[in-house]
Amino acid sequence: MNSGIDLQGSFIQTLQDFGLPLGVAKAFWLPLPMLLMIIGATVGVLVVVWLERKISAAAQQRIGPEYAGPLGVLQPVADGIKLVFKEDVIPAKADPWLFTMGPVLVVVPVFLSYLIVPFGQNLIVTDLNVGIFLWIALSSIAPIGLLMAGYSSNNKYSLLGGLRAAAQSISYEIPLALSVLAIVMMSNSLSTIDIVEQQSGYGILGWNIWRQPVGFIIFWIAALAECERLPFDLPEAEEELVAGYQTEYSGMKFALFYLGSYVNLVLSALVFAVLYLGGWEFFIPLDKLADWIGIADTTPWLQVFTASLGIIMTLVKAYFLVFIAILLRWTVPRVRIDQLLDLGWKFMLPVSLANLLITAALKLAFPVAFGG
Amino acid sequence: MFSILKQVQDYAKESWQAAKYIGQGLSVTFDHMQRRPITVQYPYEKLVPSERYRGRIHFEFDKCISCEVCVRVCPINLPVVDWEFDKQVKKKKLNHYSIDFGVCIFCGNCVEYCPTNCLSMTEEYELASYDRHELNYDNVALGRLPYKVTQDPMVTPLREFAYLPKGTNEPHGLPSGSQRAGKRPEEILKEIEAARPKPKEEVN
Repeated sequence: MNSGIDLQGSFIQTLQDFGLPLGVAKAFWLPLPMLLMIIGATVGVLVVVWLERKISAAAQQRIGPEYAGPLGVLQPVADGIKLVFKEDVIPAKADPWLFTMGPVLVVVPVFLSYLIVPFGQNLIVTDLNVGIFLWIALSSIAPIGLLMAGYSSNNKYSLLGGLRAAAQSISYEIPLALSVLAIVMMSNSLSTIDIVEQQSGYGILGWNIWRQPVGFIIFWIAALAECERLPFDLPEAEEELVAGYQTEYSGMKFALFYLGSYVNLVLSALVFAVLYLGGWEFFIPLDKLADWIGIADTTPWLQVFTASLGIIMTLVKAYFLVFIAILLRWTVPRVRIDQLLDLGWKFMLPVSLANLLITAALKLAFPVAFGG
Repeated sequence: MFSILKQVQDYAKESWQAAKYIGQGLSVTFDHMQRRPITVQYPYEKLVPSERYRGRIHFEFDKCISCEVCVRVCPINLPVVDWEFDKQVKKKKLNHYSIDFGVCIFCGNCVEYCPTNCLSMTEEYELASYDRHELNYDNVALGRLPYKVTQDPMVTPLREFAYLPKGTNEPHGLPSGSQRAGKRPEEILKEIEAARPKPKEEVN
């Protein structure tokens, strides 16, 4: 089954019709999705920063950014431009190489992970058959960058922040991976496309959230901890550690950290939407509806419509989760480091393990409902 | 055997309660999002300070008798009174008077105790300066009157919460002539005077 628009296929076909060999046509196609991905991720960050500031303001009965553009939408752009023009300071006795490598190591894996986020049947940069595993693997590179940044800054706060970031990421990666594993077991595939496919067909009732309610919560808590969002923002707790590993950073390097954290938030929300909220699927099964009305699957306008609806649905779901994260930020107080590790090792790990075992048992008992 | 079951049950119950409380907290935060902002857009809008506001101190040079009561009641003896004894008129003659507002805590004791009322509180609070020595006001600077918020054409004056009519908590777009909740001081005074028995004629 290969419904929907195949942009890559038609692009390469068009170039071949102009007389280019297949290899050259493919080489022309290659940079396009990458560029689109980087631009899309950056624009997504600008939107999230604006949303964060506006929603935070609303939750605190303020107005928020107002003068840069209509409703302050250009505020993140202004922030970014300011950071670009700031002086790039490397503190005395810091290790300049590690200090520079730190933010790069944090940002690049996050952007790379966008490779596996699907916005539609063929609207994905690469459909790897280890897709979701790639995301987990890449997300464990970031703490090395954080530790590098913290260690090389020649600052005790930075060092403590870096160590905390590493400890936090390591302890929350396991429940995250285990809850993803339960999903993978149900869909019999690591590919993000297959995971969404497995949830399709029954509209909102088919989404994994109903079959994995525990995994859903575990994943969200672990994802918040991985992104260092507020209930778990110990690595940069400003009351204790000034700004954690970011303390000595300014200008573009700080901007990279800032960008990385928000890209990571959007990415986690997107992956969350893919894993638990049916990815690009609409609330009602569209193909069944089209079938019922009597429109063929291959009708061009229907394909364009479902493709754009798919992108919109993915973004709507992801931004809904971002909204929840922002709301949580102003609701839940920060946990202490011992509470954080307690929650990670003594609660999340056993519960996610139990969830995995129960999923396996249910898969054996009810193969119809749990993807046998 | 049963104790383990009970432990599991208690643990599940505690987790459920934690989730419930977080949910309640989220609903409170969510509810706040539909409330109106209470902020004042500062350089464009300003609150009218209340009549008991303790701002920058105003000083009238000609009223001062150089008694130095203000210095004695000040917690840190801040006002600097520079006077000399004029032998011809046998009175103290004030040369200079200054208060350093970088050190003043605006407690108002000097204003309270000044025997000739030459000190008074203004509603000026925008004392920012680039140098802390600029906050050391001499008698000329102390004698200046601040601009009123209500007379500044660049500024929308807003009333403080206590000065809004009953039932409103939105200072924007109040109808003109609306009064604050409760009686005004002059109304209270009028009532007291009306209620007081009229002075009877003296009976011998």
